[in-house]
Amino acid sequence: MPRLIRWRDGAAAWGEDALTAVDDDQPVPHGDVLVSLALFQRERRSLLGQGRNLGVIMGPTDEPESLVVDLPGLSVVALTFPKFRDGRAYSAARVLRERLGFKGELRAVGDVLLDMSVPLIRCGFDAFVPADASVPEQWTASASRFRHVYQRAADGRPPAFAERNDLSAVRV
Amino acid sequence: MKALTANRLADGEVVFWTGDVWSERFVDSRLFDDNAEAEAAEAHAKSNIVELVDPYLIDVAAVDGGVVPVSYRERLRALGPTNKPDHGKQAVGGADTALLATAHGAARSKGRVDLIRRK
Amino acid sequence: MYRYDEIDREVLADRVAEFREQCDRRLSGAMTEDQFKPLRLMNGLYLQLHAYMLRVAIPYGALNSAQLRVLANIARTYDRGYGHFTTRTNIQFHWIKLRDAPDILRDLAEVGLHAIQTSGNCIRNLTADPHAGATADEVDDPRIWAEAIRQWSTFHPEFSYLPRKFKIAVTAAAKDRAAIRIYDVGLRLHRDADDALSFEVRVGGGLGRLPHLSPVIRERLPVRHLLSYMQAILRVYNRHGRRDNIHKARIKILVASLGAAEFARQVEAEWELTDKAAIDLPPTELARIRATFARTGFETLPAISTVFEAAKADDRAFARFARNNVMPHKQPGYALVNVSLKAIGETPGDASAEQMEVVADLAERFSLDEARVTYEQNLLLPHVRLDDLPEVHRVLAAAGLATPNITLISDIIACPGLDYCALANARAIPIAQDIARRFADPALAERVGELKIKISGCINACGHHHVGHIGILGVDKKGEEFYQLTLGGSAEADAALGHVLGPALAADRVAPAIDQIVEVYLRERRDGERFIDTFNRAGLAPFKEVVYAPAH
Repeated sequence: MPRLIRWRDGAAAWGEDALTAVDDDQPVPHGDVLVSLALFQRERRSLLGQGRNLGVIMGPTDEPESLVVDLPGLSVVALTFPKFRDGRAYSAARVLRERLGFKGELRAVGDVLLDMSVPLIRCGFDAFVPADASVPEQWTASASRFRHVYQRAADGRPPAFAERNDLSAVRV
Repeated sequence: MKALTANRLADGEVVFWTGDVWSERFVDSRLFDDNAEAEAAEAHAKSNIVELVDPYLIDVAAVDGGVVPVSYRERLRALGPTNKPDHGKQAVGGADTALLATAHGAARSKGRVDLIRRK
Repeated sequence: MYRYDEIDREVLADRVAEFREQCDRRLSGAMTEDQFKPLRLMNGLYLQLHAYMLRVAIPYGALNSAQLRVLANIARTYDRGYGHFTTRTNIQFHWIKLRDAPDILRDLAEVGLHAIQTSGNCIRNLTADPHAGATADEVDDPRIWAEAIRQWSTFHPEFSYLPRKFKIAVTAAAKDRAAIRIYDVGLRLHRDADDALSFEVRVGGGLGRLPHLSPVIRERLPVRHLLSYMQAILRVYNRHGRRDNIHKARIKILVASLGAAEFARQVEAEWELTDKAAIDLPPTELARIRATFARTGFETLPAISTVFEAAKADDRAFARFARNNVMPHKQPGYALVNVSLKAIGETPGDASAEQMEVVADLAERFSLDEARVTYEQNLLLPHVRLDDLPEVHRVLAAAGLATPNITLISDIIACPGLDYCALANARAIPIAQDIARRFADPALAERVGELKIKISGCINACGHHHVGHIGILGVDKKGEEFYQLTLGGSAEADAALGHVLGPALAADRVAPAIDQIVEVYLRERRDGERFIDTFNRAGLAPFKEVVYAPAH
């Protein structure tokens, strides 16, 4: 079974990818599958409601809002980085987590590099398929490097202004 | 005719391939009449990632009893900025500096096209 | 000024440690240049023609004396004794060694400076009115809001990989000294009839290959919602800005292709759905930031200084400096003093380590420890007592920093150009030097009056040539330097893009052409007209006729 990195409680660890990726022109097998948004929309009825784990993989131009009614039935949404410099999936991730309330696994696929760990985790991703042979220990170290953040995002970290408010003890 | 240039990784200094080592002076450049030889040297330089950044070939031409880079940009790299004559390689002076500073006949080279893409 | 607290300092310390490790990995060969380049660019470290260039952010152009001294020390220790102030109110060091870069960032961090987000497709260092906190024509201190955006945009996880770079300018004054219409986002503060503060929000300005002046997308944004509204703008851009063509990736192209009204509708729709309370700063934090900018050091002084008046009467050079470089302050008995980095024949925007130290000393002794950088590549002492002006002038003049030419023809903006920049097609600095030498006589420069010349060495327009009264763009014609002239541009309230005068000129024809253009202006001008007024009335034709007249 293919491996991926999962992020839980401030640490990264290897995990197993239980979903079988299905091409758009293949028949959908039984069991847990990962399908494109187009395939999902075409065969929505037969894919949902069979008691299986279902994941949808979205391209950079796919709108996460199009999944709004189906999100509770999905265990995985995978967002694609065609290049690491293409940051559209960060916005899609925050919309999925913060606006649409997606609670399942949010997976980063494509040109996913260790140096993206902080923005990925802050925007709500919790699973990564790294393209640079990086390992979980590196992800844990890289993602924990900064002691403070300046803005709220999808990870629930208190921003600097909240720390200041809570801790009047912050030294000037 | 071509020469091979790069920037040194650790300090960014412009350097030229002499055939044996990398020199800070353009005048030390190995001059390639043979394109295949030049490209082989370039490929070898590209594998030297610990010492060099962005090695590339530049067009050079014989003028006024010497050889200079064809493009104005490459002559500036071989000299230093014109607003600070005491900075860069030109500060050392010498006949090779004088020739680079006064040469005419600029034209495009493949080297400058590569340079435009880099930051 | 804003003062870093422990949190701000730890953010910088973490960043310095991260970059030191990245540099070590590169220098040891554990990382290739292709892997390293985006990382060094995120710390403002470019490879230019002769060496590495480090671009240090100066948020909203504000510096104190300790920061200026560290910049001077970096120039002296790690560079060749000088730095270059840019149109984005940053400073660039041109002769940096990669192996020194982590130590430089450590030195900068000690005084709250850094190179974070001075490159890359992210929210860049933001600019603001350099007269902030000193001018009577502002409705609030724009630095408060600029600082709020600085923190919010630092390492923003959603907006670190935008389609292209993103620049923000803020002003609170009637007069636009921050060129807000050429920015991706330009914010102007208003005080409404009910005394409430709001922003007029402009989006989609920018120069470069396809210049645009920004339209207004929202007339009145309550200030407390600044950050949530910025998030909505950036999210619409991040999701829908073009990524297929680098020349069409700036937000100006998205705004122009959708139309300002449709872009505004999309932003408003996104903002409606935004959890504003989670994003906007709470009143306590805004009050904390505001308090750091509160100025309490002013003395109660008479509006007229007998020392200042007597010095003007006695010393013609000082009187000229006072006319051109000294500007009124909101506080009676004080003035703003422009420090010209445009000495005749020198490089526009360059300051030596010694000059930076002179300005640091003056800021500390005479300007409540504050100095500013302007986008016109000068420095400014914002709070000088009128009584102290003769001494400040004497010290500046001794350091070559008192050229009385602010907004005059020799106060030229010029990018580094082909003398330093890997992107340039032609040199900009020698052109500026040639022109300035022709107008070295201060009486002549004053007679010509306000005339803004802006020079860029390539179409990326770091020298703002599109919005110069006279713009000069360096182009490459078969490997030789040529220059295209535009007339009639402006970056201020009357913002306009210049009109191309005619075919590009060879380098040695540029300064003579400026002479000719000035002659036509002096001939054509009517009472009190500035160059730009005469141009707007008379048009291109009389200038074109003279510059392109067949040689006799």
